[in-house]
Amino acid sequence: MPVKILLVEDNEMNRDMLSRRLLRNGFEVVMAVDGGQAVAMAASESPAIILMDMSLPVIDGWEATRQVKANPATSSIPVIALTAHAMAEDEAKARAAGCDDFDTKPVDIQRLVGKINALLGKA
Amino acid sequence: MSDTKNQNLSAAQEHALLRATLENMAQGVAMYDASHRLVTWNERFRIYLEMPDEFLGTDRTFSDYIRYLGERGEFGDADIETELKKRLAVLETSHSFERVRPDGMVLEVRRDPVPGGGFIAIYTDITERKQAELAIRKAKEDAESASKVKSAFLANMSHELRTPLNAIIGYSELLAEDAGDRGDSASLADLEKIGAAGRHLLGLINEILDLSKIEAGKMELYIEKVALAAAVDEVRSLVSPLIEKNGNTLVIECPADIGALRTDLTKLKQCLINLLSNAAKFTKSGAVTLRLSRYVDDEDAPHVVFEVRDSGIGMTEEQIGRLFQAFTQADSSTTRNFGGTGLGLTITRHFVTMLGGTITVTSTSGLGSTFTVDLPDRAGVAPHEDHVIDVDDGMRAASAVTVLIVDDDDAVHDVLSATLGREGYLLLHARDGAEALAVMRRTPPDVVTLDVRMPKVDGWSVLGVMKSDPELQNIPVVMLTIVDDRNLGFSLGASEFMTKPIDRNRLTALLRKLTSSTKNATVLIVDDEPDVRGVIKGTVESAGMKAAEAGNGRAALQWLEGNAPPALILLDLMMPEMDGFEFLEKIRKVERWSDIPTVVLTAKDLSERERSFLAERTLLVLSKTGQPIGSLGAALSALARRGQAVKPQAKE
Repeated sequence: MPVKILLVEDNEMNRDMLSRRLLRNGFEVVMAVDGGQAVAMAASESPAIILMDMSLPVIDGWEATRQVKANPATSSIPVIALTAHAMAEDEAKARAAGCDDFDTKPVDIQRLVGKINALLGKA
Repeated sequence: MSDTKNQNLSAAQEHALLRATLENMAQGVAMYDASHRLVTWNERFRIYLEMPDEFLGTDRTFSDYIRYLGERGEFGDADIETELKKRLAVLETSHSFERVRPDGMVLEVRRDPVPGGGFIAIYTDITERKQAELAIRKAKEDAESASKVKSAFLANMSHELRTPLNAIIGYSELLAEDAGDRGDSASLADLEKIGAAGRHLLGLINEILDLSKIEAGKMELYIEKVALAAAVDEVRSLVSPLIEKNGNTLVIECPADIGALRTDLTKLKQCLINLLSNAAKFTKSGAVTLRLSRYVDDEDAPHVVFEVRDSGIGMTEEQIGRLFQAFTQADSSTTRNFGGTGLGLTITRHFVTMLGGTITVTSTSGLGSTFTVDLPDRAGVAPHEDHVIDVDDGMRAASAVTVLIVDDDDAVHDVLSATLGREGYLLLHARDGAEALAVMRRTPPDVVTLDVRMPKVDGWSVLGVMKSDPELQNIPVVMLTIVDDRNLGFSLGASEFMTKPIDRNRLTALLRKLTSSTKNATVLIVDDEPDVRGVIKGTVESAGMKAAEAGNGRAALQWLEGNAPPALILLDLMMPEMDGFEFLEKIRKVERWSDIPTVVLTAKDLSERERSFLAERTLLVLSKTGQPIGSLGAALSALARRGQAVKPQAKE
């Protein structure tokens, strides 16, 4: 059974691009377009891992991550933060919000898959 | 002054000499006796204040003069009796202030008590100096606002450019994968070129953004304990593809016991990646070596040295000279042959400097180059943007604010007098902790600036005494400290700071100190771990106090709603539902809770941002060296206003 990934991204092109590439790499992908939907789908879809964009409408990625990590039902799901540019404050902020790892967009798909596998213990 | 009277001079001669001295001074001088009568003055005093001759020296007192000046309109719309009271209150203390006369002349007024009662007032005309300062400040502000606009523009533009670029890179990669699957090698090669050009452009945009942030002083540091072996491992995996591209091998020489370094992990990684990819770019079928070593400098501070060595083409002396300049590479043909943005080394050098280190390069043309980065442990932490209060906001309505400057360093008094005097503050001066407390009790100031490091009684001790004295505890304090002491700022910040595991003796002492005036006081313990709460509860109760418990911030808020404010809150930071930070933010907004002393308990290594958060909600920490001194006045006014808002019946 393929590993299910919850991809949270508000930009349609980025969502389309990344989901197709993840599918190509053998993952199952479910998608949320804002932070509120992300928190709900983390609980309803029970994904193996969440890829979270940080600047999101409704509630942002940092707050969404905090909520996912505060809910005992979803707190064990690893979250990888995806932001536009590797700025120190973004990475520190993402980690402070509870993200397990951090990567920058545009994603290097091989590196991202490596990080996903590492978090799922399949490195 | 007559102890050393020259016996060859008659009293009359001596008087004449003193008179001549007074009249030749560049300042206006007025001396008052113990009953505040004007006894001696010079012509310049008369001229500066435009005193009518007949008004001088006829048994009139200081109060008569102030009232006269006030009636003449020298103090603008201010209430004359208030102005007088303000001046009388500080006569027993050396003080200085600046005031602008109706004709635009700026006078610096200094009054010092003299032995046996009475005081001397000295008036200096600083109009020209003020005008020069104003011109410089205006020029500086213009330059700064231009630079700010440029940085904001670059930051926005970079973001707007990146969004479509993401799509270009992403879809070209998708198509390249498709082409690869189909075996369409012609399309694949072209698509990879689109992707590579896109990534190059992205790198450029990111570096320009970095550079504009650095130049605008917006680049922030996050100092943390960095495990070097792990950081190097991560760098290795990131640069390996680049190294292998030119047929090079990467050699890492890292001692097993290299340990950790307090620095900014992301910036360190970026520096190493820049240097390593640079080395790989200029080396073909050779070796790139990253070597780490440790040493301890003359002042016992640990350093880590990162050496990046290549066996590439090397550089000439002249090329090295241009190396770190933005947009120049060793040779203008370099970009054509080797690619790159030409910004990597500039950014690396900026980062290394920000981290308190140095970068050097040695190279032999044809044989290779070695870049050496030397970073100290606990790199100096730059002041936080968040601390800078809007200057314009504070400049206004600064009049009538009394500031006590406590510092053993004369230079600090001079600098602060010049800066704050300009804004119309009334300044009191104290040179050590004991004097500071004496002055505060005699003449409570609106704000105190307190030096941390002073002989005998240091700043923290003064703060401790102030916070336990009901008369003084509401006076806002600005701690002035050199950069490395910033970390201490928050320790007294939330009243106190403790780490886990909890030292029971220290906790007991702390409880006594913070709650000495309240017998049978209640202490609210906020921690998500029942075991920790239990330990603290035992200590609290054995110290004769009552303990209340809450498992997180939300529960603590509920407890506060239903109970009288506790004497003390012991607060864990990392908790589910509502953490310590959010809790602090909430209670500081509620007036009846905002003064509850709070002790932060944490096992967490605080980030710079978190530290500033704590420091802000407790007392303001400014850095003597790093803080733009201009913002100090604003900070003081803001604090004074805050104090007045809390206590509508402010003194005076």
